[in-house]
Amino acid sequence: MLAFRAYSWFLGRRLGLTLLTLWGLASLVFLMIKLMPGDEAQMAAGADASAAQIEAVRERLGLDAPVIMQYLSFLGRLLRGDLGTSIVTLQPVLADLEKVLPSTLELVFVAMLLNLAVAIPAGIIAAYRQGGVFDTTSRVTAVMLGGMPAFWLALVLQYVLGSVWRVVPISGQQGYGMNSPVVTGAPTVDALIAGNFAGFFDTLHHIILPAAVLAALFATQIFRTLRAALLGVLRSDFIMAVRAKGATARHMLVRHALPNSLNPVLTLSGTQAGAMIGSAVLVETVFARQGIGAYMFNAVAQKDAFAVLGSVMFIGTVVCLVNLIVDILQLLVDPRIRAAQLGSQGQ
Amino acid sequence: MTAIAQPATTRRKEGFSAFEIFVFTLVIALLVIAVFGPFLAPDSIYNSDIANSLMPPSAANWFGTDDQGRDVFWRLIVGAQTTLLSAFLVVTLYSLIGVTLATVAAAGPRWLDEGLMRITDIGLALPGMIVALGFAAAMGASLRSAIIAMAITGWPITARMLRGIMRQTMEQPFVAGAQVLGVSKWRLMTKHVLPNSLDVLIVKWAGDIGTTVLVLASLSFIGVGAQPPSAEWGATIAAARGYVSTAWWTVVAPGAAVAITSIAFGLLGDIIQVRRDPSLRGN
Repeated sequence: MLAFRAYSWFLGRRLGLTLLTLWGLASLVFLMIKLMPGDEAQMAAGADASAAQIEAVRERLGLDAPVIMQYLSFLGRLLRGDLGTSIVTLQPVLADLEKVLPSTLELVFVAMLLNLAVAIPAGIIAAYRQGGVFDTTSRVTAVMLGGMPAFWLALVLQYVLGSVWRVVPISGQQGYGMNSPVVTGAPTVDALIAGNFAGFFDTLHHIILPAAVLAALFATQIFRTLRAALLGVLRSDFIMAVRAKGATARHMLVRHALPNSLNPVLTLSGTQAGAMIGSAVLVETVFARQGIGAYMFNAVAQKDAFAVLGSVMFIGTVVCLVNLIVDILQLLVDPRIRAAQLGSQGQ
Repeated sequence: MTAIAQPATTRRKEGFSAFEIFVFTLVIALLVIAVFGPFLAPDSIYNSDIANSLMPPSAANWFGTDDQGRDVFWRLIVGAQTTLLSAFLVVTLYSLIGVTLATVAAAGPRWLDEGLMRITDIGLALPGMIVALGFAAAMGASLRSAIIAMAITGWPITARMLRGIMRQTMEQPFVAGAQVLGVSKWRLMTKHVLPNSLDVLIVKWAGDIGTTVLVLASLSFIGVGAQPPSAEWGATIAAARGYVSTAWWTVVAPGAAVAITSIAFGLLGDIIQVRRDPSLRGN
């Protein structure tokens, strides 16, 4: 009973923060719209709209009303899922974005897997052999990767691996003639649903480099965090006790040191999942993937203001929701976070 | 942590290691280039010379030439000023916002503190670069828009950290002493609490420059920051990206410049942090 109350207290607080953040985001986007130079109705209708069309848009958006009314009706439109209309595709921005979101989620998912698969073993080895050759090389690599611009790393690797060595496709999401019927919008998943295994491996072949670039930027943080946490744990008394009882190094690391160091890594990977969606903007466009980042990039290039701001609203919302889900998952998975969250705030 | 491990005062008197000297030299060199570079550059880099376009690196053009036949090396030197000056401006502006909000939150009544910290929560929860991108695009893509956009989205971490430190400083006996002497709240905060809390920002400063250089280059690459023909590094990469397979040097050189600058300032930040708190050494 107490646990239930504590859980709902935590969930309520976390949901409240998410709603507050979404409201803040919506207000920022409204501010952005008001900062746009020139006539808002003209921007929303497109450069070659007729005077009558512009007036119709002005009427529809209620732009003659006081700003506070405009703000309320803007929030109302957002609640109904109206992010405005793209002047390029002539479609509602939300409909455009829903089409391309699965591609981005797929990219971020694969990138997250690569990120953890590389950074966690590297962090363990580096901490266990602190000051050794592996530790030094991987720390230097982490510092270098951490300072590289994502899009530049993408361009260089695309050139070297795609054009010169030809080990991966240069761009796109799947090869010509390899496409499966669109069900989810995520190419790998669609290929699996269609039972098209050649197509599935083809989509993996296409996603591996973009995902690796995205993963590289974030793996440096996981590596540093895990290494620092492990170094702290490895110095503690209970590890000495584990060694004294004669445990092997592997047993000591995997069974005792690692579970006690993963907490900050879990928290960090949660924030990273959201941040990766934002960084996808930089990577997708280089590899001509059709995700929300590439959509936003094109909208900027075509001066499609409402598509850009709609994308900001959409990406911000997705990031908030991903963070919310990760926080709840963490609460269910990690007993220590559970104890801390529920214990201190639940009474 | 064992008691004997940290003779902090003696460690602080150590000289600089070779690595530290290397990083200092790099940062100073970058600053010198940023300040004086544009005065040394030949005028020819501002004009196109199509006959000489996309030439590979040579003795005449160390890093080759770009699609307009302009010298890549000298354009990087000129771009260093734009890039570093913008980054300094952005970090200064958002630090000022952060300091102001932190001071008001720490000094103000509880409801104001709560309100400001919830706004900070919102800022921390949102993807900063995406929001900055939105602001820059809305204000009309330009370097100025990108700088303003990054300044109004960059402050939350500073505000959160500084407010925490200021609250700690306010617990110190000397603050109570000043209060007893009848020092006004404004004077107490600005003359006593703030100066004794600021060193956290000085430590953060160098690392922030490194990150800001990266974000600025990203915004310019997306097209909402500096516009061609600006020599800003991100804009240079964006303009050259179509030539990567025919003239790799046009893309590799400006990207390497961003990476070296960002890494150098990041390492400087780490060094300052370890010097301040030697227990971090080795981490």
